[in-house]
Amino acid sequence: MEFTSKELWTVLHGLVLGTLFLLAFAGGLAGLYSLKANLLTEEGIAERTPRLLIGSWVMAIVAWLTVISGTFIAYPWYRAKPPEGLDLKDQTVLGDFPRYWLLASDKTAEWHKFGMEWKEHVAWMAPFLATAVAFGVVYYGAQLVRRGEIRRALIIFFTLAFIAAGVAGLFGAFITKAAPIA
Amino acid sequence: MQDMQTKPNGPVAAAFVAAGIGSLVLGIFVVLNEVSTDINTFLKFDASYGLGSGVGPLSGKVALATIAYLASWVVLHFYARGKEVNFSRWFMVALVLVFAGFALTFPPIFEFVVGLFPAAE
Repeated sequence: MEFTSKELWTVLHGLVLGTLFLLAFAGGLAGLYSLKANLLTEEGIAERTPRLLIGSWVMAIVAWLTVISGTFIAYPWYRAKPPEGLDLKDQTVLGDFPRYWLLASDKTAEWHKFGMEWKEHVAWMAPFLATAVAFGVVYYGAQLVRRGEIRRALIIFFTLAFIAAGVAGLFGAFITKAAPIA
Repeated sequence: MQDMQTKPNGPVAAAFVAAGIGSLVLGIFVVLNEVSTDINTFLKFDASYGLGSGVGPLSGKVALATIAYLASWVVLHFYARGKEVNFSRWFMVALVLVFAGFALTFPPIFEFVVGLFPAAE
């Protein structure tokens, strides 16, 4: 049982950071949703505000780490170009070149043309949105309990960040299953 | 109206709109990359500026979107700091920008938009 360094990086990018992102999202969303004056005492607000801060900042930092590692480490392996002379329609010789392996057959080409094309771009919206949320949480802190319109806006952006990352993560898992980086 | 016991909302509104601008700039470069071979070449920041290796035009798209996000955040922050702005309006603008960016990265939509340019290959 062993992993190549490429497999380890893709596990870190997709599985480890992805899991952290999910956990941070769940914690942050629950914290934001329940930060209502009629649900909490002053003590309750003070107790959960640090957790909300941690959840939102972990989500933002993990989102940045995920897109940076995905774009600058894993993606070049995915789009590695086969040497001259290889038949680009023959999947049996393209196993080390995932992008070209997918494009070699009509049955798999859409994983690249639709899945990867969308994933590689939409993922980058997640850190933009998550950082805006983290900033809002830091800026207002416990005062968010008195700013309902901002708390709701933070929940919407938080959810959009999750959707962007979710689309990317889902297609990442499918594409890795179809054409693994090894 | 501002709750007088809380801080003004301008800086948070600025952060939201900046995230929208970053998203839209990303979407615009996704389309432009497909429309023009010159822009495709320009966006290869890995080859031109050493930003990664083998990343191709994605390196330029994400670098420019991130720069647009950070630069617009700084500008909007200084504009809105200390102010209580119409938060609903700012947030709607941010949402429109985010959804526009989201749409332009969605392959069926960006391929349709690319097809509107006669010179597109």
